[in-house]
Amino acid sequence: MRKHFSAKTKGLMVLAVFLAGLVTVTAVISTRHPGRNLVQTALTPFRSACSTLVRNTERLYNYIFKYESLEAENAALKKRIFDMEKDVRSADSLQRENERLHQLLGLLDEHEDYQTVSAYIISWVDSSWKSAFTIAQGANSGIDTGMVAITEYGQVVGLVTEIGSNWATITTVLDSALGISATVASTGYNGVVEGALATGSQGLLRMNYLPTDSVLRNNDQVLTTGSTVYPRGLILGYITDADFDQTGVAKYALLKPAADLDDLEQVFIITEFENQ
Amino acid sequence: MFKHFHLTKRQWQGILKWSLYGLLTLLTLLFQTVVLSHATGLRIKPTPLPVLIVCICVREGPERGGIYAISSALLWCFAGAEFGNLSVAVLPIGAMLSAILCRAVLTLRFVPTALCAFAVTLVNASLIFLFKLILPPTVAPENYWNILLPGVALSLVFLPVQYPLVKHISRIGVRNEL
Repeated sequence: MRKHFSAKTKGLMVLAVFLAGLVTVTAVISTRHPGRNLVQTALTPFRSACSTLVRNTERLYNYIFKYESLEAENAALKKRIFDMEKDVRSADSLQRENERLHQLLGLLDEHEDYQTVSAYIISWVDSSWKSAFTIAQGANSGIDTGMVAITEYGQVVGLVTEIGSNWATITTVLDSALGISATVASTGYNGVVEGALATGSQGLLRMNYLPTDSVLRNNDQVLTTGSTVYPRGLILGYITDADFDQTGVAKYALLKPAADLDDLEQVFIITEFENQ
Repeated sequence: MFKHFHLTKRQWQGILKWSLYGLLTLLTLLFQTVVLSHATGLRIKPTPLPVLIVCICVREGPERGGIYAISSALLWCFAGAEFGNLSVAVLPIGAMLSAILCRAVLTLRFVPTALCAFAVTLVNASLIFLFKLILPPTVAPENYWNILLPGVALSLVFLPVQYPLVKHISRIGVRNEL
């Protein structure tokens, strides 16, 4: 065995450790790592081509085996559900909620103050512990870190956390790294929404710091409260469960994310908005 | 002018071999990040790239394979791997140790390669999990059993495709070396 441990092999092992240290130090010093930017920029055309191929293959498969009509019907039904939910909310008896919901709903159609850039998703982070993806638009299209990504229905997808010239990484709401100030639309309770992976509920969001006496109903809609980062009234998710947290002095709610991240192909980055 | 750039047949074969390895690595990375990482239904994300790195390193030996492993680990790190800096050290060292172990004690056949690939991928994933658990915890301990282990096992599903490809590529230029 010893003859295989040549000086070169040992040298390569030391080099690997040295490079790991160097990458770590560089990442700490600089937010925009040059190596990462170079590789991501070079990979973007390949990823774009590959994701387009995958998307088209998926569409062809659906066309042959699932029929295009089913896809169209599904899209129409989703739109109809969205419109019905909007109607239900509008019919709420409380004037205060009504007024606010009227302001918050409609999003892109009603909020002319939103400036958005559309982008296709080209790859996903390959870690089971992180929920993030890369889009094929970057600083060249006016995108910057800290901008919010939404769907066409105004559902929050995530936040731009890394940027290159022709690519950007978006960390989704499912990731535990994000904490979003949020409100239960029907009652006005405030809390902080974050990914629930750390608590063993993968694929769900968790709304923390809710008042002990709060009354939470299933399917209640949770919206962003509004900050310098997140515009007010974007849809985060729907309550599926609630309980007291470990301390017993506050409640938490588990939410189903409003955006269907599994079938997400395209997102819209809000590049400018007027904070209300 | 071009006579200074004359390459021998052996050198051409070397270039062809490492270009094919590079292509295979790139395709695996694309498959991993574009297709597998967004597979609906399963919340587990398999990572066939570390398996391929170990497979190539085992075939090529700890020296040439080690250089390839370092390059590929750096590529993966810069392509957006979580805790990629950790993988830059763990993957090449694990792959080189696998190559030494397979040559000294085991064989270069499929099963020893698969065992080594599983061990290296598991160690790499476990260390990342440990960091995620210790540094402000963003994972639950039970995730080790219900996400990490199935994920590592799923990563090996692609080895029956990767192994024969690597085996055939590694044979390029072998006759000239004898």
